[in-house]
Amino acid sequence: MKGLMNYFPGDTFLHRMDPRSKIVFSLLVCIACFVTNNIYVLLGILVLDLLIGVFGGIFTQALRLLKGLLKIALFLFILQALVMRAGTPAFYIGKLAITWEGLKTALMGVLRLIDITLPLALMISLTRMSDLSNALVSRWHVPYKYAFAITSTIRFIPVFTSDLRSIMEAQTARGVEFDTKNFFKKASLIVPLCVPLLISSVKKIETAAMAVELRGFNLRTKDSSSKVSQFHLPDYLLLLLGIGLIVLAVLI
Amino acid sequence: MIQMKEFTFQYDTGKKPALKNIDLEIHDGDFVGIIGNSGAGKSTLTYAINGIVPHYYPGDFYGSVLVDGMDTVDTAPEQLAVKVGSVFQDVDAQMVATYVEDELLFGMENFGVPKDEIEARLTEALQKTGIPDLRFREIDSLSGGQKQKVAVAAIIALRPDIIVLDEPTGELDPESSDQIFQMLKFLNETYGTTIIVVEQKVGLLCGYAKRLVLLEQGEIILEGPVREVLKNADRMEEIGIHVPRVVSLYKELVQRDLFRGEAPIGLEEAETMVREVLS
Ligand SMILES: Nc1ncnc2c1ncn2[C@@H]1O[C@H](COP(=O)(O)OP(=O)(O)OP(=O)(O)O)[C@@H](O)[C@H]1O
Ligand SMILES: [Mg+2]
Repeated sequence: MKGLMNYFPGDTFLHRMDPRSKIVFSLLVCIACFVTNNIYVLLGILVLDLLIGVFGGIFTQALRLLKGLLKIALFLFILQALVMRAGTPAFYIGKLAITWEGLKTALMGVLRLIDITLPLALMISLTRMSDLSNALVSRWHVPYKYAFAITSTIRFIPVFTSDLRSIMEAQTARGVEFDTKNFFKKASLIVPLCVPLLISSVKKIETAAMAVELRGFNLRTKDSSSKVSQFHLPDYLLLLLGIGLIVLAVLI
Repeated sequence: MIQMKEFTFQYDTGKKPALKNIDLEIHDGDFVGIIGNSGAGKSTLTYAINGIVPHYYPGDFYGSVLVDGMDTVDTAPEQLAVKVGSVFQDVDAQMVATYVEDELLFGMENFGVPKDEIEARLTEALQKTGIPDLRFREIDSLSGGQKQKVAVAAIIALRPDIIVLDEPTGELDPESSDQIFQMLKFLNETYGTTIIVVEQKVGLLCGYAKRLVLLEQGEIILEGPVREVLKNADRMEEIGIHVPRVVSLYKELVQRDLFRGEAPIGLEEAETMVREVLS
């Protein structure tokens, strides 16, 4: 998960763009990927994705993400190539024929997967969570409660992990050895810790709810946010690019 | 001003009253420290002031609690929150934002602070708490002491007349704890903000608070100016409260007839006492 939802601070034009145009663009790319049957269009989109990484100043993160996706992709590729029976055989594994059609479908499928995941993941890395939630609430009238629930969930993950770590440290001090290589043994040591973690988490959430209400959570409306997102020229251009991709995908 | 009259409260899930027959007046501009053993009712007392009791934790409520004349039972907690700012014991839990700036904006936006006033209040709150350089930092990356200051800054931005804090130095080292109290003292002296703070470190508290309230099993057993309360050091030690070491030293000196002055509060007065005894 690391790197997928993390925000990478910066001040590029992509960072400064309206969160809405970034999200919509990612969705448009998604649609283009599904519409097209042309491998060059898919390859073109992959290049575009990497360009987002370059312009957003997060190229290394983009590559890391790509590397992670390739692992899943490889698995899917093999599976798909094995399953597809129709077509002319390219080579044989024992008695099993791997067909050219099978290889092509597998490659397309894998490219689609990568092309669909990358833009959204990268755009989210370039967008502050609070800006996104502000834009969704004030512009798209998403109920603030939902936006808040999602951002809070993401924010609480590190808090809970650090809670778990301190519980584990306390156990380690009592002689429990967590650094065993055996997965099942490790799991059997960690699972019982879930109860104290759950109790402390429920307490935390209760405090959080009270603290938030005492700071006027229930008074908040869609117009409360002081940072108002606004479309500028780059936003329109980005959307135009997304629509252009769909048109291209339909035409060729 | 806060007035509690014959105030008794028992949580719905509790077996005995968490607070019993509380009569307490806290005036504007006061700096009150609340001490007592675990389970004595300190947190409940702060809940009674900010309206968490009885609005979030229901129970049997007797007597009355008035904040600036508003009865807390009849006033919505949000409305009360305009007067009373609350800092909870668990700092991590009370943070809502990823960035310091957004943490301060949250409350101001909710309470409808005019948009052209927000920036001024934001910088002012960061200035007052001494953390203007943290404005664009990620909250996750801050130390415990810094987070405490952010929590207080987020409250100050709402300009409450009263700030209630529940063990704000709970997980801090002595130096950061001292910084938090310096900041509270500054707010109290410069802006006349009423400060009500629950604190385990009695020694630290005595250096800053004007008055002390000692709770034991839901009742106020000692209450008054710090110096007056400390005269009962024996009684305090009996129920297990650690009195400041200078006070123990003072008692010892008085017993041996070496010193006749008032009990010292804080390091400077202690130094004066020791010098006087030695000369
Ligand atoms: N939410 C609750 N529901 C039921 N009983 C509670 C609740 N909170 C506190 N109590 C009880 O009320 C009494 C006073 O608790 P309170 O938390 O006010 O004490 P405290 O002085 O703050 O203690 P500590 O130093 O441990 O924080 C205790 O007996 C406690 O068990
Ligand atoms: Mg408490």
